[in-house]
Amino acid sequence: MHPVDSSTTAEHRVTLLEEALNEAAQVNAELQSRDALKTQFLSNISHDLRTPLTAIITHAEILRDGILGPLSERQRDSVASIIGGGRQLLDAVGEILTYARGAANQLTVSPSEFHISAVVAQVSALNEPLIAKKGLSLSVDVADGVPSLVADREQVTHVVSNLLGNAIAFTPAGGRVWVNVTCVRDATTTNVQVEVGDTGIGIAPEHHDLVFREFAQVDPSPSRRHHGTGLGLTIARRLVELNGGRIWLESQLGEGSRFFFALPAGDVTR
Amino acid sequence: MQARPHILIVDDSALVTGALTILFEETGHDVSVAGSIRDAVAAGSARSVDVMLLDLTLPDGDGLATLLELRARNAEPRVTAALTGRDAAEVQARCTAAGCRAVLVKPVPIAELLARVREWTAA
Repeated sequence: MHPVDSSTTAEHRVTLLEEALNEAAQVNAELQSRDALKTQFLSNISHDLRTPLTAIITHAEILRDGILGPLSERQRDSVASIIGGGRQLLDAVGEILTYARGAANQLTVSPSEFHISAVVAQVSALNEPLIAKKGLSLSVDVADGVPSLVADREQVTHVVSNLLGNAIAFTPAGGRVWVNVTCVRDATTTNVQVEVGDTGIGIAPEHHDLVFREFAQVDPSPSRRHHGTGLGLTIARRLVELNGGRIWLESQLGEGSRFFFALPAGDVTR
Repeated sequence: MQARPHILIVDDSALVTGALTILFEETGHDVSVAGSIRDAVAAGSARSVDVMLLDLTLPDGDGLATLLELRARNAEPRVTAALTGRDAAEVQARCTAAGCRAVLVKPVPIAELLARVREWTAA
């Protein structure tokens, strides 16, 4: 910084100010280019991680299914764990890739007409083994007369899957997880509202904004009990907003969480 | 005796083609492997292909170009399935328009992959 003393003329001050502004513009341009580089890096590294993971999982499945000869039960369990771990890693890599695309504004919406109940049924079915393994109960309720959506089905599926995955992860054994779908109308709009709730550990109100922030975890310590990229809800929010909706939560520490998202209905006549 | 179905695996990762080669050879198929559009066109022209499993991102271009080139040479595989890392509607639409029978997201569970390939080669 240049010192400005009382003897400096106004003209000189203007020059200094202009210099400072130029400097700031340069720093800003540099930061933007580094940010783009970071996004590209994340995208490349995700692709490079997926390929070997694909090979690992395929090889392990070949062993598990006895294609190279029968395995003992314990060998099969061990190989099944390789597959489980590989799939978990793959999900994390997928999240990073989606985040990188979102950050680079490369996420596009391919809308089609569908009913949210089909998505909820699909995601619930996929999570059933995990629900059973954790000793949780899952209930799904879709109110009568909920209209269909015109949105990107894959992205909406991703959001439901993320919210349900979190609900399962943060709810101890014996707890309940639910998905309720309702139709909410006001004077001008009709929204399809999805609630994913749980009786889990809950989130203190002062952390409600934090959970949607990228890389944020309420407990970031290395010894934390719940792992993840910290990108899931950031991505969920981005996807909901890309499809013209909004996402929010209601929760108190120790009293479970209720995440909601609402998307404009595609066809209000049904 | 009926000939073993011929599977052409097109992917630039030797790790991935290695795994799929074991899978299909061990389950009664003949396997050819190509890591580029050029090699895939050569392999597909040299011997007729029952099922081509086609990665979309190849070092010398868009994987779908392989299918178009083989078709132009009258050597189109009986069935082509795209193998992709992305389950996006636009990818799906592009592959279907080019003539792919299916678009499968990697890693495809092998039980599903085998079932599909058996269904296509049985017909």
